[in-house]
Amino acid sequence: MTSLGSQGSSSSSSTEYVVRVPKNTNKKYSIMAFNAGDKVSCSTWTQARMERDMSNRRIYGEEETQEGAAGSEFGKKQREEARRKKYGIITKEFKVEDQPWILKVNGKAGRRFKGIKKGGVTENASYYIFTQSADGAFEAFPVHAWYNFTPQAKHRTLTAEEAEEEWGRRNKVVNHFSIMLQRRLREQERGGGDEDEEEGEKGAKKKKKGGRGGDLRIHDLEEDLEMSSDESDGSNGDGEDDEAKAKAKKEKGAKGKGKKKKKKGSDLEGFEDSDDGDFEGLEVDYMSDESSSEEEEPEKTKPNKGEDVPKGIDEMSESEEESEEETKNEEENKEEEEEEDGKKTPVQVEKKKKKDSSGESDSSEDSDIEGEAASALFMVKKRTPPKRGGGRGSAGSSRTGSRPGTPSIDNAATSNTLRAAASKLEQGKRQTTVPSSETPAAKRLKMEPSPQSSSGKSTPQPASGKSTPSASDVLLTEDAVRRYLIRKPMTTKDLLKKFQTKRTGLSSEQTVNVLAQILKRLNPERKNINDKMHFYLTE
Amino acid sequence: MSDKGHDVDLTRAKQNTGVWLVKVPKYLSQQWAKASGRGEVGKLKIGKAQGKTVVSFNLNEELTVVDCSGEKISSVRSPREHPFTMQTVGGQTLAVFTESSDKIALEGMVVQRAECRPAVSESYMKLKKLQIEESTKPLRFSQRLEKAITTNYKPVSNHSHNLEYEKRKKEEGKRARADKQKVLEMLFSAFEKHQFYNIRDLVDITKQPVIYLKEILREIGVYNSRGPHKSTWELKPEYRHYQEGQEEEKEAAKME
Repeated sequence: MTSLGSQGSSSSSSTEYVVRVPKNTNKKYSIMAFNAGDKVSCSTWTQARMERDMSNRRIYGEEETQEGAAGSEFGKKQREEARRKKYGIITKEFKVEDQPWILKVNGKAGRRFKGIKKGGVTENASYYIFTQSADGAFEAFPVHAWYNFTPQAKHRTLTAEEAEEEWGRRNKVVNHFSIMLQRRLREQERGGGDEDEEEGEKGAKKKKKGGRGGDLRIHDLEEDLEMSSDESDGSNGDGEDDEAKAKAKKEKGAKGKGKKKKKKGSDLEGFEDSDDGDFEGLEVDYMSDESSSEEEEPEKTKPNKGEDVPKGIDEMSESEEESEEETKNEEENKEEEEEEDGKKTPVQVEKKKKKDSSGESDSSEDSDIEGEAASALFMVKKRTPPKRGGGRGSAGSSRTGSRPGTPSIDNAATSNTLRAAASKLEQGKRQTTVPSSETPAAKRLKMEPSPQSSSGKSTPQPASGKSTPSASDVLLTEDAVRRYLIRKPMTTKDLLKKFQTKRTGLSSEQTVNVLAQILKRLNPERKNINDKMHFYLTE
Repeated sequence: MSDKGHDVDLTRAKQNTGVWLVKVPKYLSQQWAKASGRGEVGKLKIGKAQGKTVVSFNLNEELTVVDCSGEKISSVRSPREHPFTMQTVGGQTLAVFTESSDKIALEGMVVQRAECRPAVSESYMKLKKLQIEESTKPLRFSQRLEKAITTNYKPVSNHSHNLEYEKRKKEEGKRARADKQKVLEMLFSAFEKHQFYNIRDLVDITKQPVIYLKEILREIGVYNSRGPHKSTWELKPEYRHYQEGQEEEKEAAKME
């Protein structure tokens, strides 16, 4: 019944087809919609299986309690019905027609799709499928339903709780692959073997790599150690080593930072919530013993201010700094002997402690010093076990006595009073802030003696290749006061501020007394500036 | 009732059959539903004009009659010319599958999407006007009655329902105390069916006066005043065996 006719119009030619709407068909036509991005090609399917997804039945369908005998009441059903009618509760029926489809293509190993019915398709307009039949006529079939098919992930995903957890740590965790790895290990299903390889490959392609090991971690401190050694688990370690040099410094900085921050975060977990921006407005005490050169102080404060949470630009600049150090460290480690290993790690540890303490002491009270001292103790104690034997052994070449970093800190750790430990920490911090603010060239030299001198003595640091004096002395001594007064005139209030009770470990009364004695001894000259009495010395 | 896992028939899919998906206005689909015979509804004209493909659908004459409610003969006719606007399939891959009572088959892929539009004409406007009028009519409306309805709520000395009830009660009479053993048997068989009973239901079942029944119940049962099954009676634990062999055990318990 085709009628082929060409119209006589000048520039157009058309063919006519008859359109039929078959009436008696028992087939219901539906649309299966795939997203173009999923690259679905039906011609590639060898086999497909489709069934309704009945998983919602127990939600919508009535839960049938067992009938008869145990647990049932006489007339329960009627009573329930009457109750529902009274309150007007209408429960939706479970319609099989509206349930989603599950489409399995190419068997078990193939793709899976879930097709959810799209509502409102047939409400205001009807869709028809026009197919051309054998006799050239068009047949139009109405579309009964529209299903949007989405591919279902075969890889494992995080549950809602886990996702929330990870979201909370998003700023700290840098190695995203370990998240799934951890999950798997947690569930103890398969060994990390296959997945590690997979992740390693992926890691090679991706930019960010962190040092977060996948094995059961007793303490995050071990991450740091693992990072520098080759024993780090699986391909994460390999990936690190490969990439550490190859990739930009930024990643390394970010990784190191990520680790530190992660550790700091975990340390802080017991104490306070560390939210972004909480520490932004904090005042940081400038290290009083440093020379007042401009470039040092900001650099000093930046690491101090670094706290645990990255803050945009600050973070980047910090990470640049630290990454420089760290890359330096890494390069040295690789190039030099293993002593660098040990050297770097104590520096790191001290840096961490500095971060910790700076974070804590700035914003809180004495109790936090104890807390941080405790964490430092904890850190140190844990650290000693996983020492890399080889690296440590040969380290004694360039320094005095035993391994500087660990034992000295151990000494600090074994001091009985927490106050003493805190003050020692401060020293250790001061000594490391000094190297951290140095120019790279001098950094290495700095680092060598710095752990050396952090042996818990309160003597000023020996000459370390730096021109300016750099005693990181927190204690309230005549020398310290003299130095201040030589530099510039100060009031008693200023002086007191310089010797904060937290840092010196003395109470405010004691500080006042000692300061008064020192001033008597020094007998500084007085000048009235802005109606305030300033002291100064001229040498 | 639900088809469980049908293998999809992929023969048409393999042939790469292409179909068109056309959006058709509601009134047109209604007209198409009235088609007779083989279902021929009209003619589709595909042509090329100035390089572009022009598709148009022409409705058959007999199908242009529009029924509208409330009028016998409508003067409104649906339009006949319907140009198609062609669209690309674009961001979606659309496939068509059919479900029949026993199988699911993939019919093909959509290669072209189109929208069937009515050619704007006088008749179309009239049709639309009609549609709007119909749709704006409220579903419920108030109508004034000329006469008041007097067949309901007439005063009555005693309602028929009441009368029946009283008669029934008189017939039944007061409940007599039956033999204790018999009552126990009734109770046990009732508790076999359900675990928890309201006292009212038990009275109904056993047809015993309440006080007597309560006495017996106190012997063999326990009253739940709290909990999920509130204010219900259930058998005492020693009488209670809701698995196989409860008959014998209950008998044994009864004998004690």
